[in-house]
Amino acid sequence: MGKIPLLKAMKHDRWVKPFLKRYKWTLVLAITLGIITFICASGLMFTAGYLISKSATMPFNILLVYVPIVLTRAFGIFRPVTNYFERLASHNWVFKMTSAFRKKLYDSLEQDAVFFNSKYRIGDILGLLSEDVAHIQNLYLRTIFPTLVAFGLYAIIVIGMGVISPLMGLLMLILFGLIIIAIPVWSVLVNGARQQLEKQYTNTLYADLTDNIMGITDWVFAGRSAEYLSYHDQSEQHLLASQKAMKRFEHWRDFILQVMILLVVVSLILWGAARFGGHWGGSANWIAAFVLCVFPLDEVLSSLPTAAQQTNVYTDSLNRLNKLPQPQLTVAKDINITAPYNLKVKDLKYRYPQTEQMVLRGINLNIKPGEKLAILGRSGAGKSTLASLIRGDRKPTAGSVTLNGIPTDEFGDQISDYIGIVHQSPYLFNTTILNNIRLGNENASEEQVWEVLKRVGLASMVQRLPKGLHTMVDEAGLRFSGGERHRLSLARILLKDAPIILLDEPTVGLDPLTEEQVIETFMEQLKGKTLIWITHHLQGIEMMDQVVFIENGTIAMQGSPVDLQKTNQHYRMLKLADEGN
Amino acid sequence: MIKLVGLYVLQAFLILGQGLSLAALLTGLWQGHSLPSQLYWLSGFIVCYLFRHGLTEVGNTWLDQYSRTAAQNFRKQLLKKVFELGPAIVQREGTGNMVTLALDGIKEVENYIQLIYSKVISMMIIPLIILIVCFCLDWISGVVMLLVYPLIVLFMIILGYAAKAKADRQFAAFQVLSNHFIDSLRGIDTLKYFGLSKKYSRSIYRSSERFRKSTMSVIKVAMLSTFALDFFTTLAIAILAVFLGLRLINGHLLLFPALAILILAPEYFLPIRNFASDYHATLNGKNSFHAVLRIINMPLPKQPNISLHQWQANDQLVLKDVKFAYPDDGSELAGLDLTVSGNQKIGIIGMSGAGKTTLINLLSGFLAPTSGQINIQKQSVDTLNIKDWQEQILYIPQTPYIFADTLRNNIAFYTPNVSEEKIKEAVHVVGLDNLVAELPKGLSTMIGNGHRALSGGQAQRIALARAFLDPARKVMIFDEPTAHLDIETELELKQRMIPLMKNRLVFFATHRLHWMKQMDYILVLKDGKLLEQGTYQQLLDQQGYFNELMQQTQGKEVAHG
Repeated sequence: MGKIPLLKAMKHDRWVKPFLKRYKWTLVLAITLGIITFICASGLMFTAGYLISKSATMPFNILLVYVPIVLTRAFGIFRPVTNYFERLASHNWVFKMTSAFRKKLYDSLEQDAVFFNSKYRIGDILGLLSEDVAHIQNLYLRTIFPTLVAFGLYAIIVIGMGVISPLMGLLMLILFGLIIIAIPVWSVLVNGARQQLEKQYTNTLYADLTDNIMGITDWVFAGRSAEYLSYHDQSEQHLLASQKAMKRFEHWRDFILQVMILLVVVSLILWGAARFGGHWGGSANWIAAFVLCVFPLDEVLSSLPTAAQQTNVYTDSLNRLNKLPQPQLTVAKDINITAPYNLKVKDLKYRYPQTEQMVLRGINLNIKPGEKLAILGRSGAGKSTLASLIRGDRKPTAGSVTLNGIPTDEFGDQISDYIGIVHQSPYLFNTTILNNIRLGNENASEEQVWEVLKRVGLASMVQRLPKGLHTMVDEAGLRFSGGERHRLSLARILLKDAPIILLDEPTVGLDPLTEEQVIETFMEQLKGKTLIWITHHLQGIEMMDQVVFIENGTIAMQGSPVDLQKTNQHYRMLKLADEGN
Repeated sequence: MIKLVGLYVLQAFLILGQGLSLAALLTGLWQGHSLPSQLYWLSGFIVCYLFRHGLTEVGNTWLDQYSRTAAQNFRKQLLKKVFELGPAIVQREGTGNMVTLALDGIKEVENYIQLIYSKVISMMIIPLIILIVCFCLDWISGVVMLLVYPLIVLFMIILGYAAKAKADRQFAAFQVLSNHFIDSLRGIDTLKYFGLSKKYSRSIYRSSERFRKSTMSVIKVAMLSTFALDFFTTLAIAILAVFLGLRLINGHLLLFPALAILILAPEYFLPIRNFASDYHATLNGKNSFHAVLRIINMPLPKQPNISLHQWQANDQLVLKDVKFAYPDDGSELAGLDLTVSGNQKIGIIGMSGAGKTTLINLLSGFLAPTSGQINIQKQSVDTLNIKDWQEQILYIPQTPYIFADTLRNNIAFYTPNVSEEKIKEAVHVVGLDNLVAELPKGLSTMIGNGHRALSGGQAQRIALARAFLDPARKVMIFDEPTAHLDIETELELKQRMIPLMKNRLVFFATHRLHWMKQMDYILVLKDGKLLEQGTYQQLLDQQGYFNELMQQTQGKEVAHG
C-alpha cells in the first residue's frame, strides 16, 4: 500500500482529510444515499426475479405475490430518487468544501503576499492552483465517494451472504475483494508509473510547444518552421506510445473485471442450483432472484479501477498544495507612533535565504520627514530588495531599518498606515473604478474619491465614461493606458494618506513624455510627504533632494542632483543620454 | 466504420445469446432439472458473456487507434497552419490558447471522435435488435419498451433545455467566481500593501458560499434530466416485471420469455444511459473540434511570389500613401510616404500608441497594408510578406525571445551550422564574455524558460550575436530594444549595436531620443500618422514636433537646474 502515490501523499495531508472530518454528517448522508441507490437497483432485479418465478408457479391468489409486487415498484421508484438526492448531497458537500478550501488556499498564500509575484511565476501558479481546486473536487466526487459507496456495498454483500451461507460469504469476500480492492490497486500500480511518464511527456510537450510558439517569430524569420514541426512530431511519438500501452492495459483490465463479475454470477448459479434447486418452483424461485441482482452492480464496480487510477493525476495537486506554507497566526503588537516620522537605515546587510551572496552590503541612510530621495542603480543591483526591507516585508540579515526607532519588520500589516507603495505594474482588480480606489480607504465617500481623481488628473476621463465611477475596470480595460494605470494607483495612495511613500520603479516602460507628466503629478501631489523613489534612469531626477546610486550592494554615489551635476562625470554622462543627446 | 457497425451487430447478438441462455438456464433450474442437465445453457451463457465483453474491448482498441490517428492528423495540420500564419495569429489568439488548443483541444477532439462513434452507433443498433427479439418473445412487453424509449428522449430534451439556459448563466457566474479568486491572488500584493489582505480572506469565503447556494439551485434543475432518464428506465423495468408477473399468474405467458425480457430490458436501456452520461464530454469535444477547424480553415495571408536579391547599396524601397487600419477598433496608421535607399539607418520615433509597432509589422510583412503601394527593388507588391525579403531580415524586439536551449544554440539559432570559433567571436563582439565565464557549462549551459534566467540586457546581446553571425541578413529591424533597460546598460549596449548596423538597412523604432543622433534618416510618428521625416539636423531646423520632443525632455533642466 505504501507504493500507492495518493496514499503516500495523504499521509501528511492538510488539504483533503481535514475537510472529510469537518463536514462529517453531510458526507455520511451522501455515502448512505449512494449505498441505498445500489441496494434499490439490485433489490429491483432481486424482487423482480423472485416475482416472476413465483408468479410462474401460478399461485391461486394474487395476494401471495403482493409483497414482491410492492417491493418491485418501491425499488423502481426509490432508485432514481435516492440517486438524485445522492448527487445533490455530494455536490453540495464538494462545493461547501471548496469554499473553505479556497479560503485556506488564500490564507496560505497571503503570508507571502508581497513576494507572491516573484516567488511563484504568476501564470504558472494561478493556472495550477485553479486546476488543483478542480482536481480536488474530482478526487472527492469521482474517487473517494464511489470507493466509499463500493466499500459499503461490499460489507453488506459479504455479511448478507455470510448469514445465509458462510461459505458463499467467504467466496464473495474473495471475489468482490478482488474486484473492489485488488484490481483498482493493481491498476494504480501498473498504470501509475505509465501515467507519471505520460505526464512528464505531456509537460515536456507543453513546455516545448509554449517555448517555441513564443519564439515563433524567430522560427519564421529563420525559415526553420518545418524543422520544428518534424521535431515536435517526433517528441509526440513517445507520448503516443506510452498512451497506447496504457490503453492496452486498461482494455485487458476491464475485461478481467468483467470475468470476475461473471465468476460471481456463475458461482451464484451453482450455489443457487445446489441450495434451492432440484424440484419444480418452490424454493427454486430464489435462484433467479440471487442471480439477477448482481447485474446492476456492474455500474459501480466497473468504474472503480479508472477512478483509482485517476488518483495518480490528483496526487501531484495534493503534493503541490501540501508544500504551500501553513497559515500562521501571528499577532503583531499594536504600534502607535506619531509624526514626525524618521526612517533610519543603519548598516543594512541582506542575503536571500539559502543563498551565499550578500545583495546589500552595508547601506546607511537617514531619511528625514518630507525628504525626497531617489535610489538609482542597474537592474539587479538590489534596489527592490532595499524597498522591501524598508517596508519591513523582509528581515535584515544584519543592521536595521527603523521607523521612529521601531524596526519596520515588527509592524506587520500596520506598516501600511505609515508606508504606502506604488510599484511597476499597479494591479487593478476586476471590479469598479470606485472599489479599486477605495482600497486606499474603504470608508471614503464618493466625493473624496472624485477629489483624489481630480488631483491625479483622471476626473474628466472618468466623467466621460457612461457609468462613471461604477465602470468595471476591465470594461474600460484597454482604455487605461500605462500612464492612467499609474495615476489610478496614485489616487489610491492619496486616499490612504500614509506619511511615507515608496515609489518602486513606477514608470518603467512609459514613453518619456508620459513619464515626465506622471512623475510631475506624483511630485506635485505627494508634496510634504517623505518620498523614496527607486528608478533606473534619470528623468525627473532634478525634483529630488537627494540621489543615491547603489552598486554591488553599497552606495557608490550620493548627493543632491545639483552637486552631482557639478562634480560627477559619470552622472553627467547618464543625464545627457536620458535627455536625448 | 462498417467494421464497427458489424462489430456492434455481432455484439447485439451476443447480448441476446447471453440473456436468452441465462433465461433458459434459470427456467431449467426452476423446473427442477439438475444442474448437469443444464450445462449447455450455462456454457452458452459463459461463452456469450465472454465474447461480448471481449468484443467491447476489441472495438475500443479499434476506436483508440482510429481516433488517435485522426487526432494526430489534426494536430499536424493545426501546427502547420499556425507556423504558416506566423506571429500574427499567435498575437491575436494568444500563445496559451494556441498551445492549449494544440494539446488539450486535440485530445478532446480525440475523445469526441471515440464517443461519437462508439456511443452513437451502439445506441442506434443494439436497442433495435433487442427490441425485435422482445417483440417475438412477448409483443405486449415489446410495445411497453418501444413506448418508453421516445418518452425518455422527449423528457431529457425538455428538461435539458430548461436546465441549459440556467446552467449557461451559472457557467458565466462560475467564470466570474473563479476569476474573482484568481483576481484576488493576482492582486494579493496590492491588498497587502494596503493592509487589507487578511480581511479579504473572509470575502473569498463569502462569495464562494454565495456561489455554492446559487449553483445548487441550478443543479437541482440540471440533474432532473438525468433523473428523468433514471426514473423512466428503472420504472419501466419495474412495470414490466409486475405486468409479466400478473400475466404469468393468469397463465398467459411462460417463465422463459418473461425472464428473458426481464434480463434483456436493462440491456435495452444501457446504450442510451451510456450516451447520456458522456453527453457533456461530447459537448466540449465538439467545441474544440470547431475551434481547431476554424484555424485549419483560415486563409493564408497573401504572399507575392517574386524574387528579391540581397539588399544592396543601390536598392530602393518605396512606400506610397500606404495605410493600415485595424479591423476591430478602427485605429490606423496612415499617410506613409517614404523612400528608403541603400544601407540607411532609419530611426522611427514616436510616443506610445503613435504606431511604431504597426509600421514595424508592415515593414516585416506580418501585416499587409489596407491600401497604398509598395515598390521594392523596382517591383510593385501589395505586401512585404515576401519569402526572399523575410529571409534577409533580422528582427530584434523589446525582449528577444530566448528558447529553452543551450546558450550556444540560442546564439546560433539563425545559423545552426556555424563554427565554434565564430560563436566565440560573436560572444566577444557583443560583450557576453562575462556571462559565458559565469555559467557552469559555458556555452553549453541551458538558458531560457525553466532554466537560468537572463537579464533584458543579456537577451539583447544574444539577439545581437545572432545578427553578427548572419551577415547575409542585410535588413535589421529593431522594435524598442532598450525600453526596459536601465540607462547604463542601454549605453553599453548602444556601443555594441552601432557597429553591427554598418552596411545594413536598419529600421530602429524607439522612444528614447538619444538614438536619433546616430540615425541617417528619421521618421516621426504621432497619433497614427507619419508626421515628419528627414535627417536629424533637418528635423531640428524644422522646429516641428521632433524639436518639441527634444525640448520637452531637455527643457526640464532649464526649469529645474
